[in-house]
Amino acid sequence: MAIMLVDVPWAVVLILLPLAGAMGCVLWPSVTKTLGLMTVFGVALSVAGLGWQLTENGALRYAVGGWGAPLGIDLYADGLSLLMLAMTALVGLGVSGYSIGYFDHKYLLRFWPLWLFLLAALNALFLSADIFNLYVTLELMGLAAVALAALSGGSAALSGAMRYLLSTLLGSLCYLFGVALLYHGFGSVDIAVLAERLEPNATAWAALALMSAGLVLKTALFPLHFWLPPAHASAPAPVSAVLSALVVKASFYILLRLWLEIFAPLGEGVSTLLGLLGAAAVLWGSLQALRQTQVKLMVAYSTVAQVGYLFLAFPLVAATGVTALNAIVYLAFSHALAKAAMFLAAGNLLRFGGHDRIADLDRVVQRLPITLSAFALAGVSIMGLPPSGGFIGKWLLLQSALSQGRWDLVAVVIIGGLLAAAYVFKVLGNAFTQAAVPHTSRAVPACMEWAALLLAIAAIVLGFMASAVLPLVAIGDPFGLLGARP
Amino acid sequence: MVTTLLQWTFDALLGLVLLWLAWRSLASTDLFKSIVLFIAFGLLMALAWARLDAPDIAIAEAAIGAGLTGALLLGALARLRAVVNEEGVTPQQQPLLRRFPVWLPAILLLWVAAGLAYVVAALPPYAVGLSAQVAANLDASGVSNPVTAVLLNFRAYDTLLEMVVLLLALLAVWSLDIPLAGVAAAPGLILDTLSRQLVPILILVAAYLLWVGAHAPGGAFQAGSVLGAAGVLLLLTGWRLPPRLEGLPLRMILVAGPGVFVAIAVLTTLTSGQLLQYPPVQAGLLIVILETVATVSIGVTLAALFFGSPPRGKQHQ
Amino acid sequence: MNTVMNTVMNAASLYGLVGAGLFCLGLYALIVHAHLLRKILAINVMGSGVFLVLVALAKRIGGGAPDPVPHAMVITGIVVAVSATALALTLMLKVATATGRAELPDDEGSE
Repeated sequence: MAIMLVDVPWAVVLILLPLAGAMGCVLWPSVTKTLGLMTVFGVALSVAGLGWQLTENGALRYAVGGWGAPLGIDLYADGLSLLMLAMTALVGLGVSGYSIGYFDHKYLLRFWPLWLFLLAALNALFLSADIFNLYVTLELMGLAAVALAALSGGSAALSGAMRYLLSTLLGSLCYLFGVALLYHGFGSVDIAVLAERLEPNATAWAALALMSAGLVLKTALFPLHFWLPPAHASAPAPVSAVLSALVVKASFYILLRLWLEIFAPLGEGVSTLLGLLGAAAVLWGSLQALRQTQVKLMVAYSTVAQVGYLFLAFPLVAATGVTALNAIVYLAFSHALAKAAMFLAAGNLLRFGGHDRIADLDRVVQRLPITLSAFALAGVSIMGLPPSGGFIGKWLLLQSALSQGRWDLVAVVIIGGLLAAAYVFKVLGNAFTQAAVPHTSRAVPACMEWAALLLAIAAIVLGFMASAVLPLVAIGDPFGLLGARP
Repeated sequence: MVTTLLQWTFDALLGLVLLWLAWRSLASTDLFKSIVLFIAFGLLMALAWARLDAPDIAIAEAAIGAGLTGALLLGALARLRAVVNEEGVTPQQQPLLRRFPVWLPAILLLWVAAGLAYVVAALPPYAVGLSAQVAANLDASGVSNPVTAVLLNFRAYDTLLEMVVLLLALLAVWSLDIPLAGVAAAPGLILDTLSRQLVPILILVAAYLLWVGAHAPGGAFQAGSVLGAAGVLLLLTGWRLPPRLEGLPLRMILVAGPGVFVAIAVLTTLTSGQLLQYPPVQAGLLIVILETVATVSIGVTLAALFFGSPPRGKQHQ
Repeated sequence: MNTVMNTVMNAASLYGLVGAGLFCLGLYALIVHAHLLRKILAINVMGSGVFLVLVALAKRIGGGAPDPVPHAMVITGIVVAVSATALALTLMLKVATATGRAELPDDEGSE
């Protein structure tokens, strides 16, 4: 039995199950809730199955259609993609549970098919080894994300979603141009084949520039972050959680893979630039977050800052190898859990008081203790305090920066942490005080509060599990980094 | 290596006209003119595809790129004018740009264009791609049109996701819940005659394109888009789906395309052990089934995208 | 100079250059215009440009069948483009209905 379970093509299940679930929800709206929850649970179990499969057999390359690259499309699962999938499944579970209480029936019927298609797109993206296939998954993900962002229907949400749509389409087209250049320059769209064939000529440089520009726009790295705060802040809370936690990580993941696998021979000038922009993102995003008067906008700017941390590690990966990669993975994973928890908690505050103005949070700590604990724990991870996943991520980042003598990066990380503490405590402080104008409150369903808290606890627990999680990153020796000195 | 002078002149002229049409379309002060020029641009793109030995794309571009996109744009403009009074408004500049001079992005983009042009020109003048592998495996694929083989066998996974994208776009449009476009008056003489003559012909053409796609230019997307055009024509005359078909039957047809694709994916994974690996003997049959279901599904989806508003049955949002 | 002449004489590369030109033209229009319908047209023009680059270089010199893989990619791309356009147009209508203008609101985040 155990042998049979290891041989199940879990990667295929991860892609087909949410597709089938989504189509089932479209055909039979009456069973949407049950079918949706079962699908998300199935996805979580499949990730566990895939994890088992990878630890038993090492990295997995799966030739769709039996043809194999470069003629066909390959799926590829290694430690990095496994952890991204695990991140998606965990946040997905939390958001799904939350959405049951958040949406009324009409919106629930619209939310679930879109969300399950987004889940399928994310899974397909993290498993793909073909740059054109990645384009199709990027488009699927982008359109689903935009539709979800527009769900709340207000003019802010609609404008934010429109700006998001135009930005994501622009990013995809730049990426596709790069794909065209790579295909015509080197004869394949498979990542492994391209990695072998790439030479540092003008075609490769242009493709790198175009694809990086497109993906950086989609990941909202400073200064191309303008679309993110309006879209993420005005979307419904569970959608904001998914957008900040998962969707921006997907384009970052592609950028990471392309840089380290295909474009490795092209040298380090541009990675230094990305590191600089990352530093600017950390400082600018944190400062803007501090200036905000509404919780959701603050959390959205916090995402801009946290994305900067991911890019800070870029110049370090080539030199320090595994440590920097571990830092990136831990930062991404813990940010996903913590940011999702924060957005869900913000949604609770919004549902409770009818507004999310920071100054007017009326003694929320008494009325919504679970929500506030969730926000506080998530804040611990975002600030990078021990013991949390965020702390481990920052610790690894600092380690690799120090080993390279990059005191400038160390300074940015420390300042970023202080600013994060400032904006988190701003919210927490106001939650203890009485508002100037008392107002009526609405009850918040238990599932919404608990979903936020469980995700926040997961972010903290991640900090304790470094010894279990970090060896997983090494499965398949992503990018051949294990030979480099940490 | 050098094409004849006549062909080269034709291509150069076509290229210049494409650029000129795109420029005029984007720079025009009247939105209606912009859209019409864009449709003309799409039709000339179809000509360019034909010049580039890409007849499959030419048919798809003419039907989808020029035809259906044009219909979507004109429909959106009509609805927009009902909501927003825009007569005589000159094209506004992006607010951001009021802080910078207009020539700044122009200079930057000229520089980018030069770089891209250099890179494109530096690419090897003949394809270094996968045609050899495709040709080698064509017999095992079940069809003899290489583009269909790539779309529905070698890279079928991409096509599966693409059909999901189309369905998702419709779900997204429905979730936005735009109001009905207003009760259509009785169609005028031209529309009435044209639709009566054209719709049956379009259906026949769609069936032909579907059938011929296995060994000649054509296939599910081309056929589906022609079917979609027929649907658009019907919708323009004021025809609506009978209410009893608006619920589950409509959803079943829409989901059928990607749904059957996913079902075949599951079946192939269970039986042959590899996702979307068709047994060589049944490959041709599987592709025919896929394409047929996909054609109907794509056609209905495109027509529904044009219509825009979701069905208003009691079990719907 | 010789390579430039060769490029220009080669029809396939000619269309590739047109594609690059369309991409940049569309990008300029996307940045400069405020009206959402024009932005959507600009995105479509950019898409056509990229597709031209993909297919133009798939053509074989001296006869022979062209490379079918970019053709399949472009057909996929056209379908994705019409899906995105449909969503964008509907969203534009909603924005116009909600705000009274078919333009994105001016905000401080646009740096």
